[in-house]
Amino acid sequence: MPGNPEFGKRIRGLREARKKTDPSFSLRRFAQTVGISATYLSKVETCEFPPPASDKIKRMAQLLGEDPDELLALAGKFDPALSEIIREQPKALADFLRTARDRQLTDEDIEELTRQIREKK
Amino acid sequence: MQVKYLPEKHIRDSALCLLAKYGERFGPVERPPIPVEEILEAHLELQLGFDDLAKRLGVPDVLGATWVRDRRVLIDQSLDPTQHPLKEGRYRFTVAHEIGHWELHRHVYQADANQPSLFDGPDKPSIVCRARSGKDRQEWQADTFSGDLLMPEDMVYLAWEERFGSLEPYVAVDEIADLSAKWGLGEDDHKPTVAAARELARVFQVSGQAMQIRLAELGLICTQVPPPDLFSRPGTIVRS
Repeated sequence: MPGNPEFGKRIRGLREARKKTDPSFSLRRFAQTVGISATYLSKVETCEFPPPASDKIKRMAQLLGEDPDELLALAGKFDPALSEIIREQPKALADFLRTARDRQLTDEDIEELTRQIREKK
Repeated sequence: MQVKYLPEKHIRDSALCLLAKYGERFGPVERPPIPVEEILEAHLELQLGFDDLAKRLGVPDVLGATWVRDRRVLIDQSLDPTQHPLKEGRYRFTVAHEIGHWELHRHVYQADANQPSLFDGPDKPSIVCRARSGKDRQEWQADTFSGDLLMPEDMVYLAWEERFGSLEPYVAVDEIADLSAKWGLGEDDHKPTVAAARELARVFQVSGQAMQIRLAELGLICTQVPPPDLFSRPGTIVRS
């Protein structure tokens, strides 16, 4: 199974930077805290295996102090909680997302809209 | 590659010095188990990984390999303790063994790296460690280093004293004979591990076999009937 070079290299880079000051970021201890085997983590980092499941990636982000959505995106995944959010208001949110796509909104446009929504009382 | 002779004291001092340097950086290691992975990964800043090494290198029974120039160590995935908890002792011994190569032998390969051989592929490791290969000098030195690092002399004496109340050695001849008879072992088989070795092995997170060898080296377990000694009282053994 092919791995994901962007994801693997990013995780290895982040973990190696942290492990120079904190030995708990060793391959085995990090793998065990995330809940995967050391061999699996090793092969994800060398891009031989694909990234793990979304909940494991979220745990990695939490431990490494990184944005989980960014790591999930690198792995070609998204937060499984999003499906739940859409399920709560399926019609309105589907319409909202499709409109955003049809209007070809850029990342900046979406960030601006998010800011406006946040500020709305 | 042939490496030069090193006195055992030099190897022991290298292991203890490395442990002290790790302690200066990350906090002293006062009790077992010795954090060998952290020493390799955080202190020496080498990359540790797992792979099917027999498949990767095309030779059977490979336990570990070191790529000196790439600062990389791979351990065979059959020893991954997160998948095979019973291999914990063997895994840690292999990690400490590869650290031994790094500390004692890396300069030989660093010097050699400037003279690329026509026969070496780009992914060829500097050192390949196999389970059943005849132990040459380099492998013997790395094994000795591994024992010294995982089971430092002072910590072993202290653990023995804490557990058994004194540094009096245990003559294990009868227990070994009983176990050998029970398991049907012959003269040429590995000596079975006695209860005391198995108990301390758990403290140091090493195999019972490695612990027993260490205890015998330090004179705490006698696996053979001690020769009569004119200068000691009957029934006691004086450690040199």
